[in-house]
Amino acid sequence: MAAATQIETVTITVNDLELTVPKGELIVESVKRLGFEIPIFCYHPRMKPVGMCRMCIVEVGFKQPDGSVRKMPKPQAACTLPASEGMVVYTDTEAVHRDRKGVLEFLLVNHPLDCPICDRGGECPLQNNTLFYGPSTSRYVEIKRHLPKAYPLSKYVTLDLERCIQCGRCVRFTEEISGDSQLAFRFRGANMQPSTFGLMEFESKFSGNVIEICPVGALTSSKYRFRARPWDLQTRPAICTNCSNGCNVWMDYRVDKVVRINGRTNEAINEEWTCDRGKFGHDFYNSPDRLNVPLVRRGTALVETNWSEAYSDCIRAFTSSTNTAGLGGNANSNEDLFAWKKLFNEGFKSNELDYNWTKVAPIADPTHAKPSIASIEDAPSILVFGSSLADELPIVFLRVRKAWFKNGAKVIVAHDQATDADSFAELVLNYQPGTEATLAQALADAKAGKSVEAAAKLTGVPAEKIAAAAAHLTSSTAIITSHELLNRPGAHDALGALKGLGELRNYALNANDQGAAEIGIGTGTKRSAQILADARDGKLDALWLLGVDPFEVCEDHDLVQAALENVAFLVVQAHTKNGAFPYASVVLPMTAPAEADGTYTNADRHIQRFGAVLPAKGEAKPAWKAFSEISLRLKPGRPWFNADEVGRALGAEVAAFANHSFNQLPTEGLPLV
Amino acid sequence: MSLGIYKGIVKPITSGLGITYRRLKHKKVTVSYPEEMREQFPRTRWRHFLTRYESGLERCIGCSLCAGACPARCINVVAAENTDEARYSPGERYAVRYEINMIRCIFCGYCQDACPTGAIVLRKNFELADYHREDFIYTKDRLLEEYPGQSDEPYTSNRKEWAEARADEKRR
Repeated sequence: MAAATQIETVTITVNDLELTVPKGELIVESVKRLGFEIPIFCYHPRMKPVGMCRMCIVEVGFKQPDGSVRKMPKPQAACTLPASEGMVVYTDTEAVHRDRKGVLEFLLVNHPLDCPICDRGGECPLQNNTLFYGPSTSRYVEIKRHLPKAYPLSKYVTLDLERCIQCGRCVRFTEEISGDSQLAFRFRGANMQPSTFGLMEFESKFSGNVIEICPVGALTSSKYRFRARPWDLQTRPAICTNCSNGCNVWMDYRVDKVVRINGRTNEAINEEWTCDRGKFGHDFYNSPDRLNVPLVRRGTALVETNWSEAYSDCIRAFTSSTNTAGLGGNANSNEDLFAWKKLFNEGFKSNELDYNWTKVAPIADPTHAKPSIASIEDAPSILVFGSSLADELPIVFLRVRKAWFKNGAKVIVAHDQATDADSFAELVLNYQPGTEATLAQALADAKAGKSVEAAAKLTGVPAEKIAAAAAHLTSSTAIITSHELLNRPGAHDALGALKGLGELRNYALNANDQGAAEIGIGTGTKRSAQILADARDGKLDALWLLGVDPFEVCEDHDLVQAALENVAFLVVQAHTKNGAFPYASVVLPMTAPAEADGTYTNADRHIQRFGAVLPAKGEAKPAWKAFSEISLRLKPGRPWFNADEVGRALGAEVAAFANHSFNQLPTEGLPLV
Repeated sequence: MSLGIYKGIVKPITSGLGITYRRLKHKKVTVSYPEEMREQFPRTRWRHFLTRYESGLERCIGCSLCAGACPARCINVVAAENTDEARYSPGERYAVRYEINMIRCIFCGYCQDACPTGAIVLRKNFELADYHREDFIYTKDRLLEEYPGQSDEPYTSNRKEWAEARADEKRR
């Protein structure tokens, strides 16, 4: 970490105010410390400066020994100018104002000014800067550049070349951040245009970000296209529940319909980026298949009913036998999971709950400290083992890439297939499928100085490569694996061998898997596959599916189908009709994540609050509320009234969650105790 | 007849009638609405209309600027994309829904000011009374339809004929 090192500082003067800043800091950043604003287009704090748009020009001079200031003859671009001793910067002089007007007039020469129909209109940096710093008219009367409008770059991104001001943010993003280098500039001068190579489809797992960083409406979202204007929208903070990373997002909705997801800055989680899976994967909120009312099976048909009848059916089935089980998954809040466990343990006298669908169980001790995702940046070397990060945990992939790109970390990738991380890896260990444990053991052996010839033959990775990889492994190496590894043979052996080689992280893949593990779901005697097998064999009297579609998470569809057909009583609690719906005895509508207050634990044990953004659909209830009401019918007591109370009860029972209830959490979340 | 009655009753009445008599010579300032109607001032702002180009395409591009400018928040615009098969307006975008809540509207004319294409205009038809609340939500169809007072010409002209023709149409 850089905090401990001595930072060399210089004193500069900004608009006659003295300021001490780190040597070499860019002027555009330095002036922010004093609260001055410099208009920018191409500069982005997370990418290298290029000075393409010239919007940030300022007057710069140097203090002379006699105290006078000698100005540079020409204005300078603040985004490429490092601070040095005695530098004097003026951001607010007549000359600067005149130059800014000139730059904006120039940028607008070819800009079509179709703002009324542009999706960026209303939140457009070019509009804002023109309004604040630009000229009110243009002297340009000639015909503007005409290029294709609304060119579909990919199924998510629409490109309007006329609007492009050639700042290069999108091109630099694919080169520096996402690393897929899909975009590049073609042609020169006014005709320069960002494009994919050979006009192929823009295939990126992070393409949504270029929409957000584009300072004009050149890159717009195909899904959001013409859906709303910014002033039609309401925006609230939300958490993405499409994977276990728990990215912070802004959810934009119009008349109770989600129309757009944008990245929200949280340095500990996702910086400001989103992946396409998260940014464009929220259609289910507006799905016509949403469940609105409780349903019970009468004869062969599911009929609409009220909650109390649905509850009675559930209670009858689950209290008449203790041979019952529950399966969860995907995106349930900590509150839901805790209330679920409590209902099963105390009300139904059963502990056969599982959330995990991998072949073997995750590491037994779920509370082992997990280093934060942000700390990957500081690791000198990183081993990505058996995980295709860009597919499984896209935002962790960005951190790994940043560690390599910014801090020069040595990245070693071990996988049985080619992965996106290979492009910047120091070493790629491409092993034979199924030899994960052997390779992990070989790495440990090589580090201990033992021969790895036999393992090399078995895994198909040359012994020199294994030795070279082992040489990079130190105690501060970040070893990144995911629960995907648990589907491979010898997963526990592999994890055991890796544990000694550095800081091991075994990231869960679904939104709140980590929370479920901490709460103690999955501590029963049977794992999910065993529960399904029992159901198939008619050994299970009742099964509760909490917000999970077993057809989606379990590869063995025949087993799932047989299980759902043969189980005597099936409760499907979900927000949308899923594969298990036709087999249900009782269907309980549940709120989707954005429709109820809740907290979510992400893969690195960071717990975050997700306040209700949208109203609940129909009669749908948060799952914890349904569990609480069933508990009350079994045994009178005081009900929980809100998510915070459930969270406090959870904190009182599970030490890790103490003081982490909904109202106690800050906006940016907290790591678990 | 005592002096009291004369002073208290007869004199006030006759002097009052005298005023009435003198006014009879003046020109009338009232009109017998609804048979007659006074001409509206040139820049009167009443009922909204959505206008079309001469080609028949709608001027409205669904940009929602009117909704953004509206201080009463009474305009709702939902936009969609034109295709070559179904073209409503010249550009890429058109309004698939355009609704004004006339009960909320304060007739300030900001929507007209904000409109970049001159699509929404406030004209001189002030007879907006209706019987049902739902009927005050003016939909795109109603805003686009032919109606007296839509042009810049005085609202009074041909009004009777139009109303009779309209009534005939309804009866049929």
